[in-house]
Amino acid sequence: MTGLFHFANLVRAGIRDNQLLWMLVAGFALFPLFTHFADLPFWNDVAMRIMLLGVAAMGLNLVLGYGGMVSFGHAAFIGIGAYCVGISQFFGLSNGLFHILLSIGVCGALGLVIGYLALRTTGIYFIMITLAFAQMLFFLFVSLEQFGGDDGMSIDRADFLIIDLYEPLRLYFLIWVALALVALLLMFIVRSRFGVTLRAIKSNESRIEAMGLVPLHFKITSYVISAMICGLAGTLFASWQEYVSPDIMHWTRSGELMIIIILGGIGTLAGPLLGAIVFLLLEEFLPVALGAVAPAYAENWMILFGPLLIMVVLFGRGGLVGLLDKAIFSRIFRRRMAVK
Amino acid sequence: MMANPVLDLRDLNKSFGALTATNNLSLTVMPGEIHALIGPNGAGKTTLIQQIYGALKPDSGQIFLNGRDLTGLSVPERIRAGIGRSFQISNVLMDFTVLENGIIAEQARLGQSFRFLRPAFSDANLIEGASAILDRVGLLDRAHLPVGGLAHGDRRMLELALALAASPSLLLLDEPMAGAGPDEGQRMTEIIEALRGTVAILLIEHDMDAVFRLADRLTVLVEGSVIAAGTVAEISQNKVVKSAYLGDED
Repeated sequence: MTGLFHFANLVRAGIRDNQLLWMLVAGFALFPLFTHFADLPFWNDVAMRIMLLGVAAMGLNLVLGYGGMVSFGHAAFIGIGAYCVGISQFFGLSNGLFHILLSIGVCGALGLVIGYLALRTTGIYFIMITLAFAQMLFFLFVSLEQFGGDDGMSIDRADFLIIDLYEPLRLYFLIWVALALVALLLMFIVRSRFGVTLRAIKSNESRIEAMGLVPLHFKITSYVISAMICGLAGTLFASWQEYVSPDIMHWTRSGELMIIIILGGIGTLAGPLLGAIVFLLLEEFLPVALGAVAPAYAENWMILFGPLLIMVVLFGRGGLVGLLDKAIFSRIFRRRMAVK
Repeated sequence: MMANPVLDLRDLNKSFGALTATNNLSLTVMPGEIHALIGPNGAGKTTLIQQIYGALKPDSGQIFLNGRDLTGLSVPERIRAGIGRSFQISNVLMDFTVLENGIIAEQARLGQSFRFLRPAFSDANLIEGASAILDRVGLLDRAHLPVGGLAHGDRRMLELALALAASPSLLLLDEPMAGAGPDEGQRMTEIIEALRGTVAILLIEHDMDAVFRLADRLTVLVEGSVIAAGTVAEISQNKVVKSAYLGDED
């Protein structure tokens, strides 16, 4: 009860971005308890998917939200991360730690190359070049017949020495640890000297140049970090899905990541995770709700999602995190408190 | 014996198609002096500043700063070599507070911008350095205001503070009084006056009262060429300059 009261107080004061982030991360740690007692094990699976997309969106948000670089090709890094597992297993390498290191390394190197080439441009050209690279990689994997081509390849859950991922909840907590580490990493980065310089570059690149710094170095570094985070998400995604196909890096997933970020709050720590929660819950429930009203349209839940997204963008300046922030919530709560 | 110049421009040329923006231009700025560059609109003043700053490449000629050839260097390299600049249109970090602007400049000065761990905006050392940067232009009492809410004149002050942050040996001021009200212009003049002797300044300014008060030497530019150079007294008596620029009425 006191906890609830404390929470209400926090909300009343306006939840700060990083507090919200850690509340959500803590919530995911406790969630299996809920599913256990409520006997809803299926929801663990949904939570894992949310965490995986959340991690990827957090990675993208570093360049999109903090650096102002609209990369439309980050699904490629998720895909590369996932294929690192598939291809490793194809060659008999089943150690999960190796998969993770490999995908972080490969995505970092690829991010460096793509970033180096794409970051010479800005605006619409940057969007198109990142999309073009992602499409190149997509079709590369479509054409790689030995790795399943279009049909993809099935994957065994990776081997983490003593941790057997086929045990219930082991994979869940592996993903949770990744989420917590990425959250911690990003919290440090965005407040650090590097992070504030990156945000300053988004605000005014020429002033940063006039301070004797080379904006490109900061942009490329952030691009590489975000590629590595998406690679990590992809690696775990492969173990979760036990299957990988080029579909995982389809360009619509890059769009999905952007929608998640915009929905949750661009350039905020909690936004991508909150966005992932809301997006995937809507994906789960909107078809059901729509099916109840108009069964023929159940599949087209995006009809409802679109207007919702527009509303959040229009009224929640700064996405859902913005909505939770001071202005709106404290007004509502202050009124209630006053009535009491 | 003459001291060595801080800035030494040798035979700079720059054309945009048929338009000659800089025509065989040579100019020196001596240590600690305020050197004003005046001339009618389109005389090539900002184009010249851009070439010194490194945003434009001269077609031919050389640029020396403290005896070092800057001609092939990029903007950030020139900044690190000792150039500071304020722009014609205020160029500050609008999404941050005044203090945060100072902190970002301070960490750039210290070469610490590539660190990932400790938070920057709560770092005591950076705050101290940033405060010193802001104090120089009298903005310390407004340190916690967002720059977006700052008066125009204060933004210009902040920009000057950022340009001075790294203790440059040459300061390029492109119309620091532009758009300022009379009081703001007066305040800016006083602050620039106080800088005399501490840093060499190349100043572009249309406010002739400020120019005559501040400048140790003047160079008059018309259509990319130097038509006169000298002290304030010499230039104000110069017939060619009078007819070309200052006007004949007095």
